[in-house]
Amino acid sequence: MSPNKPLLEARQLVVKYKNHRAIDGLDLSVPAGCVYALLGGNGAGKTSTINTFLGFNRPTSGNVFIDGESPEQNPAVVRAKLAYLPENVALYEYLSGVENLSFFCTLADIRLSRQHAHDLLANTGLQSDAHDRRVSTYSKGMRQKVGLAIASAKQAKVMLLDEPTSGLDPSAANDFARRIRAAADLGMAVLMATHDLFNAKQVADRIGIMKAGRLVEEFDAHTVAHDELEHKYLAHARGLL
Amino acid sequence: MIVAIIRKELLAVVRDGRLLVLAFSVFALLSGFFLASISEHQQLQQEKQAVGASAKQQWDTQGVKNPHAAAHFGIYVFKPDSPLASIDPGLRQYTGQTLWLEPHKRNGARFSPAADQGLASRFGQADAGFVLVALLPLLVIALAFNAVTLEREQGTLRMLHSLGVSAMQLLLGKFIGLLLAFLLVLLPAMGLAMIILSRNFDLTGDHSLRLLALGASFFIYYAVFAALAMSTSIHFHSSRLALFALLAFWSGSVLIAPRLGAVAAEAWMPIPAATAFWAAIKDDIQQGLDNDGDHEKREALFNVQLLKQYAVTRIEDLPVGYAALKRSFNDGYSERVHALHFDSLRDTFERQSRFIHIASLLGPSIAMRSVSMTLSGMDLAHQRHFEDAAENYRHYFIGLTDDWDRERSHGTEHGAQGHDDDWASVKAFRYQSPPVGFALQHALADLLVLLAWLVAALIALLFSAKRLKP
Repeated sequence: MSPNKPLLEARQLVVKYKNHRAIDGLDLSVPAGCVYALLGGNGAGKTSTINTFLGFNRPTSGNVFIDGESPEQNPAVVRAKLAYLPENVALYEYLSGVENLSFFCTLADIRLSRQHAHDLLANTGLQSDAHDRRVSTYSKGMRQKVGLAIASAKQAKVMLLDEPTSGLDPSAANDFARRIRAAADLGMAVLMATHDLFNAKQVADRIGIMKAGRLVEEFDAHTVAHDELEHKYLAHARGLL
Repeated sequence: MIVAIIRKELLAVVRDGRLLVLAFSVFALLSGFFLASISEHQQLQQEKQAVGASAKQQWDTQGVKNPHAAAHFGIYVFKPDSPLASIDPGLRQYTGQTLWLEPHKRNGARFSPAADQGLASRFGQADAGFVLVALLPLLVIALAFNAVTLEREQGTLRMLHSLGVSAMQLLLGKFIGLLLAFLLVLLPAMGLAMIILSRNFDLTGDHSLRLLALGASFFIYYAVFAALAMSTSIHFHSSRLALFALLAFWSGSVLIAPRLGAVAAEAWMPIPAATAFWAAIKDDIQQGLDNDGDHEKREALFNVQLLKQYAVTRIEDLPVGYAALKRSFNDGYSERVHALHFDSLRDTFERQSRFIHIASLLGPSIAMRSVSMTLSGMDLAHQRHFEDAAENYRHYFIGLTDDWDRERSHGTEHGAQGHDDDWASVKAFRYQSPPVGFALQHALADLLVLLAWLVAALIALLFSAKRLKP
């Protein structure tokens, strides 16, 4: 795989809801092995961007591509390549972790043996005594781990994360960040919409700041200090930049 | 993929306790009504048999008397209800349970259970048919109203979409899962009903076919509610709104449409009052139909033809009893007039019944209720079939007594006599219910309405699938 080939790409993307431009001319590219953190306040267009990659939003103009395929034209091909973890990983409360994993994998045309399902959950760090418990007893972090296990089972090339660490305790957030980093190091392209500057700095390779549907600034996460990142973010949020 | 969705849906209703609670409720509800219905059915049958046997015994032992006087003793006949009447007693509450057969006059059925009930029983009137047609759709709604809204509210719909599950696959899996769950809910109650039916009645092949057709019709009926509930669940973004909309539809279909249809039918196709009905019959017999002439004219003409037929000049010289011949002639005319008015009345009932189906636009419940009572043999068509058979039997035994009267007398003399042997030789009334084909033929329009609703509900589900968004 060429390291420069973008697995996630938006070109002059515009998404309108009635008269409101939720995304306004977005150009974005995330290559394999890269974690891209999309920062911005509420209503900046982060979730709309994720939804457009998922095919939930139809671009008003411009295009999005996942590994060269358009979600609009080839939804099945695109969805086979991506994994999605929302802020609250939605699972079926009356199924256990293993059953949820098996169910979602079956829907993605992946047959898992029971042992394989247990192994996948164990790899995400979910305690083995929780595997067969109903997820109604799970914490948010445990649900995230089931979500990660689904992504892992799918062998997804792309992962879309929408506020993944919101509500997680620092230890769980740190654990989650490590696992995302590990997935990227294996060649996955990760786009993460977040408010969490610390998490973004910790895990991302590139950071983009969105405001009013536009990508107003983009930089290498390794070249910016945490204070500087916070300064840029607040400056954009307050309209100083 | 669809199998996985079906399995998940079944697990959902099992594990969240809905299946157990609903199965228990349905079991208690249906078995309660069914046992009460069976008990009422058996009590009625026993009463009918006892009264019928007693009446026949009285008929057989009238002693020596004139055959026509014996005919005036009259015979009671009863409609034997099908075992399926325990499932749906249909019109039994409102139609008479017996026919009084006597010379000269065709009577309507009399002694309806509704007329015999006290005021208190009017507050608790329901039967297993009502539970099946009116209450069980509520359970379908209870299972399906949040089939999609809950997925949307909990965010799992986004997860499913992100995995590439198509709306059609999801809805098909949910639809089948829902119907299977509902069948599981029904299974214990249905099993009990079958055991009770087979232990208490001699079920024939015809009964089994009717049960099968009834089961298939109810399946279509519940599938309509299931499909509509799922479409509604897609249409509305909140479970509460979906539930309110479905309850409104249920009210329209189960409560409003039948009443609206009945009121409109009664207004557009009124039924004559009983006094007017009998007065019209009496008037037509007296005045004659078309150009037949009045009673006196018809009788004079009959006398002329009779004298000519027997080649005599005086009635007194007839070799057979004149009174019996004249009576047969007049009764024949009376029967013609009665048939005309009875057919016209029953045609009006049937037209009303068909007219009520316009209200089926509001929901499929009228059609289902109609199919249910027809297949159970408790509708107007089966009642009419019984009344016609009873009328034929009336012709038979009145004809027999007239024959004895005519043959055992001559001229104007009235000396004919009959004995217990004669009365006992009159065959008992044996009613043979029509076969399942008769029921299906009469239920055809309602079955088509049900199928039309199913097609419409599935089309609605299909269109809803196109607009299913997370």
